[in-house]
Amino acid sequence: MKIIESIMENINYVGAIALFLIGLHTVVTHRNLIKRVLGVNIMGTGVLLFFTSIGNVAGGEPPIFIPGSVPGIFVNPLPSVFILTGIVVVVSITVYSLSLVVRIHEAYGTIDQQEITEMIKEEEYHD
Amino acid sequence: MEDKIVKTITRIIIPFIQLYGIFIILHGHVSPGGGFSGGALIGTSLILLTLVFGIDKAKRKIPHNVSEIIESGGMMVFVAIGIVGLALGGNFLANIETGFPLGEPGTILSAGMIPLLMIAIGIKVASTMNSLFHLLIEGEIHEDN
Amino acid sequence: MGIVNVIIIVFLIVCAIAVARTRDLLSAVIIFSAYSLMMSVLWLLLKSPDVALTEAAVGAGITTILFVAVISRTRRYEK
Repeated sequence: MKIIESIMENINYVGAIALFLIGLHTVVTHRNLIKRVLGVNIMGTGVLLFFTSIGNVAGGEPPIFIPGSVPGIFVNPLPSVFILTGIVVVVSITVYSLSLVVRIHEAYGTIDQQEITEMIKEEEYHD
Repeated sequence: MEDKIVKTITRIIIPFIQLYGIFIILHGHVSPGGGFSGGALIGTSLILLTLVFGIDKAKRKIPHNVSEIIESGGMMVFVAIGIVGLALGGNFLANIETGFPLGEPGTILSAGMIPLLMIAIGIKVASTMNSLFHLLIEGEIHEDN
Repeated sequence: MGIVNVIIIVFLIVCAIAVARTRDLLSAVIIFSAYSLMMSVLWLLLKSPDVALTEAAVGAGITTILFVAVISRTRRYEK
């Protein structure tokens, strides 16, 4: 019973690690390049969820200062700022990978990793 | 797309999306949001315009060279504001020491030069999102070779 | 942590597994859009509203549209 309580208390960490592992599994085991980019996105959100959970304080308020009011307990604003940068980085990685996928499809006619590897091997064999 | 309902609804809804984006950008220093979120919203409205009315009309509204100038211009404005802080005797992007009017906290005219930075970032992000989508769907990446 | 938090985490994990298991790439991208939207609700629960706003605009909007654009230029089904 105690282990279930412990999981319920730390559900955000459990979820973050599960999402990271699912994304890693998608990246490693799939051969389709677009599916791999989706896996990188899921991995990224898992890491960001871990960071936000660290900064959260039980019973805290969003870290916005309103003039004239007495501030209560704020959550830690530093992880939020890191995560804004992290979201921008994930979007940049996604767009860059997608443009590479388009170029690969134009060059080889397929976006399957194994077929591309066979084509490259054949080219090297003919050389 | 030749759908009258979609076209009419899009024509009605695009100004509201852009108004919300401008609101997010201008209130970036007093409320959640900021340059990146508001710019992404405005970029989404431009992408919606491209999706519904076709790439040709969107390219006529915002040509590619204009969008390039806007992107570089937003970046240059950001750097220029930073250098103003450097020239007035502070660090890069120095705010309080350089004597920008700080205004009253909580109002929209406050926080020195941060609203100007937010506007520069918002314009750059909106234009970047739009041109990324155009490049991905029309394949100019290939023609550059 | 409240029960809403647990429900959202379970939804996220189910969505992630569905993205990994679906053979149709367009369906996977739409499921990923729902995943992003639920992630922004979770960030609102974790008291960081600016991250929630950015995630709703970027994750559910821009990323989905870019994936759909690339799928329209390549193939739709995974072998």
